[in-house]
Amino acid sequence: MSDVYIVGADMIAFGRYPDRTYYQLGAEASLKALDDSGLSIKDIGAVYASSCFNAQSMLGQKVLKEIGQTGVPCINVSNACASGATAVREAFIGIKSGIYDAVLVVGSEKNPRGMLGGAPHDGPPPEGLFGSESMPAVFAEAGMVHTAAYGTTIEQFAQVAVKNHHHATMNPKAAYRKETPLDEVLASEMIAWPLTKLMCSANVDGAAALVLVSEKKARELGMSRAVRIRASMLTSDPYEPRNPVMFDCNSVTRLAAAKAYEMAGLGPKDLDIVELHDCFATAEILHYENLGLCGEGEAGRLIDSGDTALGGRIPVNVSGGLLSKGHPIGATGVANMVEIVEHLRGEAGARQVTGARIGLSHVLGFGAAAGVHILEKA
Amino acid sequence: MATDSLTLPKPATGVIRIGTDGRASIEGFRCRDCGGVFAEQTMSCRRCASRNAPEAFRAAESGKLYSWSVVHRSYPGIAVPFVSAIVDLDDGLTLKGTLRGVDAAAVRQGMPVSLVFDDAGGARDKEGAPYVGFHFTPKGDA
Ligand SMILES: [Zn+2]
Repeated sequence: MSDVYIVGADMIAFGRYPDRTYYQLGAEASLKALDDSGLSIKDIGAVYASSCFNAQSMLGQKVLKEIGQTGVPCINVSNACASGATAVREAFIGIKSGIYDAVLVVGSEKNPRGMLGGAPHDGPPPEGLFGSESMPAVFAEAGMVHTAAYGTTIEQFAQVAVKNHHHATMNPKAAYRKETPLDEVLASEMIAWPLTKLMCSANVDGAAALVLVSEKKARELGMSRAVRIRASMLTSDPYEPRNPVMFDCNSVTRLAAAKAYEMAGLGPKDLDIVELHDCFATAEILHYENLGLCGEGEAGRLIDSGDTALGGRIPVNVSGGLLSKGHPIGATGVANMVEIVEHLRGEAGARQVTGARIGLSHVLGFGAAAGVHILEKA
Repeated sequence: MATDSLTLPKPATGVIRIGTDGRASIEGFRCRDCGGVFAEQTMSCRRCASRNAPEAFRAAESGKLYSWSVVHRSYPGIAVPFVSAIVDLDDGLTLKGTLRGVDAAAVRQGMPVSLVFDDAGGARDKEGAPYVGFHFTPKGDA
């Protein structure tokens, strides 16, 4: 089976686009990725379109109506925050199977305003009556398990936000590009202890796109900027005794990471850069261990050491992460891979991770799904 | 003034059962093959996939706090702050509820708590029927 290569990768700046539709944003990202690859929409054999809130509206077809209706299959996927990674994996399978030589993946979202979540229910609203269903509370509770087990402090969680906001100052496509020192993070509005507002992901709009091709096509285009997909993995949550009362963000990620490392024939020590799902600052701490970047219980010390900051041993979320680059749900997984691709090509500008050859991207969807991709400079 | 069945107390959340005597309890389900415990009835066992449907049991009303958050901002119209708690009941069932009657700074993993049935904040359905809810309190303070 052919290896799969990324030959086009781009995104629009994340932010608010009140005057544009989600499919216009997706179309703009698609054209940018196509231009980056040197291919035209006429070369593309299938479109894989990702959105959390708009996949059912035929996003892929709406994008093609903007950029050229070539009649190719459109596969519209929705898998919560793992939607983008799901679309990439389906595209990977499409190339791997030999059916397509070149496909377009586009993730696009205009997030609803305000706090996301809140399931439909009978009877009185459960929020506040039976604890909280809000995402900050859910991830605060996940973090407090780490605190109880290992003594992780609110300052350590807050340092994740300090680091990622610092990284975002070097990313022209990040939604929030302002330094936020520790005292500012800790002093911002308390949302759900221990998470302050600056420790919660930025709710914004955005779109990102990738062009995936077969090895044959990649050789035709020239390998100098190609990135090989060493592993593409997607999991659903395995049985955990407290789930779903307590959302389990750990086992679903650990399963995806283990299978991705096996598929790539690599381990965490081989990674030069990681983009992981920092939907909340607590989540980044948990995922350090879930992805094997440090040992069990060592995540608090890992953030303190500076090893996950730009210039450190294993830089994490150099883009600014979901905390400050922003988290347009269905675009997030695609954008994480755009960031890795830019570093592997050596085109990440001020935030370039020097000499990066192998990178990992991870997303976590509530409900649950985890996607892990391992990319390598070709 | 015969009691209309429409106005009998109703469970405010899926795990509550109200007996013919009007008393409330929590219903859990346990797999007959692997012992896995769940808060809702499923067709097969979530844990071992046994086709023997898990059997219902009346859950314990005391347990230990597993995790929590002090919620300061929630959806519009929800009174804050409150403590969102995840509690492991003594028989293995895990519930999410609100922990009341506690100083937020004193909340610790493993603290013993009691389950208390309540009026679900005084809510009524459109026929005027009351709801039955629950919350947690630190054990001994109930
Ligand atoms: Zn079982």
